[in-house]
Amino acid sequence: MYLTKEEERIYDGELGWAKQVCMKILVKLGELFDAERLIPIDSAHISGVSYKTLGEAPTDFLEALAKANEKTKVEATLNPQSFDPEYLRKRLPKQLLQKQLDILQIFERMGFKQSYTCTPYYIRKPEKNSHLAWAESSAVVYANSVLGAWTNREGGPSALAAAIIGKTPDYGVHKAINRKPNILVEVDSPIKEEVEYGALGISLGKILKDKIPIIRGVGNTSGENLKHLGAALASAGMTNLFHYKDSELKGETLEKISVEANDIRKAIEELTTAPKQKPDLVFVGCPHCSLKEIREIANVVGGKKVRDNTEFWVCTSCHVKEKAKSYVQKIEASGAKVITDTCAVVTWTDKLGIETIMTNSAKTAHYAPTLNKANTILAPLKECLKTALKE
Amino acid sequence: MAQQITLKGRGIVEGCCKAEALVSAKPISFLGDIDPKTGKVVEKNLDIYGECVTDKVLCFPHGHGSTVGSYVLYSLAKNKLAPKAIVNEKADPVIVVGAVIANIPMIDQIDISQIKTGEIVEVDVYKGLVKILKKWEV
Repeated sequence: MYLTKEEERIYDGELGWAKQVCMKILVKLGELFDAERLIPIDSAHISGVSYKTLGEAPTDFLEALAKANEKTKVEATLNPQSFDPEYLRKRLPKQLLQKQLDILQIFERMGFKQSYTCTPYYIRKPEKNSHLAWAESSAVVYANSVLGAWTNREGGPSALAAAIIGKTPDYGVHKAINRKPNILVEVDSPIKEEVEYGALGISLGKILKDKIPIIRGVGNTSGENLKHLGAALASAGMTNLFHYKDSELKGETLEKISVEANDIRKAIEELTTAPKQKPDLVFVGCPHCSLKEIREIANVVGGKKVRDNTEFWVCTSCHVKEKAKSYVQKIEASGAKVITDTCAVVTWTDKLGIETIMTNSAKTAHYAPTLNKANTILAPLKECLKTALKE
Repeated sequence: MAQQITLKGRGIVEGCCKAEALVSAKPISFLGDIDPKTGKVVEKNLDIYGECVTDKVLCFPHGHGSTVGSYVLYSLAKNKLAPKAIVNEKADPVIVVGAVIANIPMIDQIDISQIKTGEIVEVDVYKGLVKILKKWEV
């Protein structure tokens, strides 16, 4: 791999240990994937912020970087943490909050933006064809597929390394030739609900490995449905880019697979593990809700109230919550919580006594049995709302 | 006498070791599938559910799932619960970066179906080799 004189000096440790370790991560990845050089990036997005998913040990690694006085070189946003500023702070053990605050403080010292969202593109939309180094697999798929920005699927530490160096190795989907579809997916029956998009993503993710699909039959759908499709695709597999516009099919002969209504129905059934249909928590907002999704929820909530013994969480970024003030008031008047900076998956729902989670997110349904030790019910938003609210 | 099996792959993170193999036929997501506090496999859908990855040569096709997985490898190493080496069919960035920061020898482009759980294997990343040892060699 070609390194500039400056990059070489960093690699050799002349600018200190922290920059060296970051450069090593980037170069090792670059060599692995036959990158010829490093390229500058517009922004970085870091996963691995929640204390629940991070645990103890990486804190030392982050602390060491911060102690070396390392600062981000480009705009760098952070994934959700394990607390929101209000509700969960009151309900979860103080020592967990302290551990989380310690991690946030380390990131702050390094100059990261306190965004705490898996949807950084709702805060600042990356420009088309711009190069990024994003972790958080759902945001990576969305940036590549829906926004037309270019980012590999970084690990928490490689995105961190890129944020500090301001560069990323030039391989994978940073090269136009690697962005072409190589498998055609025909969706045989029309799909509408976000859970169907999510279930499609989970079943495709398992069979596609790292192939780049062009998915036919979903071209006219909303960004939100594509967000659910991409999030699920990334949780179940290695895919970081999909195409969905027929115009991108340029007459090549591609390997073809088809997905039938039955496959999607089966995937939804498999993502429901709960023996009982009464959830302790109804959770919407994985990935974090857009302004449009919050408005939709507010409209259905109307003047209704949340059922007794049921929690109803709507998770989003503080940025979107701020913009959605009037809708948020309406939703919270029902007894629901509009929770920012975190979500059900990256906080300790089990410590709140939650055993069954109902959600419209296939990604959450995929992760919750292991990450939340919870049973799941996967159902469309309107059913989630019906279950959460009194008649 | 049976032919000794030596598999040739591509070295990724330097190192050498000899240890017992633990082979998962399915891809692993370190976030969720492995408990960083015990080293145990906690994902029920994996064929190695309930096993411990500590001090094993952990063989699996590739990583998948959350990118936080890299830090779980770092956690395992810090807790002295890490595998002795990682052997993949196809390396993916989450596992590679995890192996770099946790300093776990790693090799890929290996046909892991040749390796069985419980066999003693020798991994030499410098030469890019995984050798399955016969009982009398152990």
